[in-house]
Amino acid sequence: MHQSKLVRTVRTIAGWLVVGAFFFPIYFWTSVAFRDSKDIFNWPPIIFNFQPTMRNFEQVFGISFGFARQDAVAPGGGNFYMAPRLWDSIVVASMSTVLAITVATFASYALSRMNFRGRHQFVNWVLSTRMMPPVAVAIPMFFIFKQFNLLDTYIGVILIHGLMNLPLAVLLLKSFFDDIPAEIDESALLDGASRWTIFRRVVLPMAKGGIAATAVLCFIFSWTEFLFVLTLTQTGLKTVPVVSSTFVTSIGTAWGNMAALGAAAIVPAFFVVLLVQRHLVRGLTMGSLKQ
Amino acid sequence: MSIAQVKRIAISDSPWPWLLPLVALLVVFTVYPLIYNIWLSFHEFVPKQRVLKYVGMANWIQLVNDGRFWGALGVTFLYFFIALTVEIILGMSVAMLLDAELPGFAALRAILSMTLVIPPAIAGMMFLLMEDSQFGVLSYFLGQLGLLDKSTPILGTSSLALLGVLVAEIWQWTPFMVLIFMAGLRSLPAEPYEAASIDGASSFQMFRRLTLPMMSRVIAVAVLLRGIDLFRVFDYVFVMTSGGPGTATYTVSLYAWQQTFSFLKWGYGATLSLTSLVIVMVMANLFIRVAKVRW
Repeated sequence: MHQSKLVRTVRTIAGWLVVGAFFFPIYFWTSVAFRDSKDIFNWPPIIFNFQPTMRNFEQVFGISFGFARQDAVAPGGGNFYMAPRLWDSIVVASMSTVLAITVATFASYALSRMNFRGRHQFVNWVLSTRMMPPVAVAIPMFFIFKQFNLLDTYIGVILIHGLMNLPLAVLLLKSFFDDIPAEIDESALLDGASRWTIFRRVVLPMAKGGIAATAVLCFIFSWTEFLFVLTLTQTGLKTVPVVSSTFVTSIGTAWGNMAALGAAAIVPAFFVVLLVQRHLVRGLTMGSLKQ
Repeated sequence: MSIAQVKRIAISDSPWPWLLPLVALLVVFTVYPLIYNIWLSFHEFVPKQRVLKYVGMANWIQLVNDGRFWGALGVTFLYFFIALTVEIILGMSVAMLLDAELPGFAALRAILSMTLVIPPAIAGMMFLLMEDSQFGVLSYFLGQLGLLDKSTPILGTSSLALLGVLVAEIWQWTPFMVLIFMAGLRSLPAEPYEAASIDGASSFQMFRRLTLPMMSRVIAVAVLLRGIDLFRVFDYVFVMTSGGPGTATYTVSLYAWQQTFSFLKWGYGATLSLTSLVIVMVMANLFIRVAKVRW
């Protein structure tokens, strides 16, 4: 359809304004991370015109960027020393991703390539586990973990996050495997290759891109998860979303520190998600819609 | 089983060796908790003796007579319907606006996907700050527009608190709808639209008669996946209001969690969480049948 120049201009401006409105909270939050409290607690609120400072990052991560005075960082890294929590998040997200992807690639290959009775029902069962409310898993898991001494351990959280991502990983990888023509498998089978050889030598290399995209999405969902970590950990480890709530104290909320930690957790995720833009919709719809 | 038998199964064309790790994990981490939850719903924790006591149907009877549960269920459904409606309509509008090759629109689509990688708990904190009545930028804008009185804290007023939480929800998840709908719009064939414009159809008619029917599957998938997550809302209410003021923003998930971990009503918490599980399962499966969604 041909649109006049005026319509195109208006539409361009409208598009930028709408997306600008969605971007504003991200900008604002990130800017709070670089503010002193007088620039946070001002009325009317300051939007652009604040004095940038690295102090929040220095306090949260216990390092000095040399912009503020050295004593701005309390001994031992300040009250809110959060670098280990960032590490917890990284360990949990990456290990649970490895777990989910490993288990899911095998299952998805079978679901994509082998005909067996009840395959459709099996796929539906996997999908239905995605419907379970986290709270209905977290409550019994708390007691089960307690019995097996898994509360407050990396292994416990990694297991539960891996499990949480399994339905997504299985269905998404199945859709990527479905893209690879089945004739390739069949001709290899006729040549006497085993399923295992085909899986390892043919299908896996061809699905590399899809597996990487699935892994990125699993990583992000583990990175952003809140309820399981809140329920199943105490002091041993905490991921970033949960630990953010500790900035809310009885004498007020340390917004600057919280924003600094939040920004440090979010900004890397933005760049990661850019890597999978091409597969993002497929991932968000668990492989149901292909772009 | 002998080693030879194991080997034969492993190299045969049976799918089960491939599926076994998945089945094992899913059974251990979904079926077992489910059974444990059902068992727990017939028991209650006695703090003094630190034991679980069998109480029969007491928890289920309490559930039926618990006004706070029905209130929480109402709040959850209200949240569910408002969020879903706004996200679909707003998502479709923005998707149609951005579905064009205009300067910078590819970048706009990438920017929109940014909200999806923010942990919802942190998104809740963002809006908690912005909706603060003393220094919140959103309160300030609304005040300037004459929509909000400075002395009214959004999240501290019963009638407004749920809306305050919904703002965070809608902000974060409308882009989810936009991205999915935009992918759907791009895959539509051009011919029907050309034919319709030759016949002199208005753009609203084209939207109703062509776009909506052809997009129905895309919309159904988006509604199903968002709906599942909406019904179990926890993160936003937990960090923004903790259910308050009063019980204005209590959702079923939050109520179940608090009963278990704040009030040590382990059996009742399990009963509540089971109830929300049953409701989600029934609604989602009905929807899958009615809308004929298939994976």
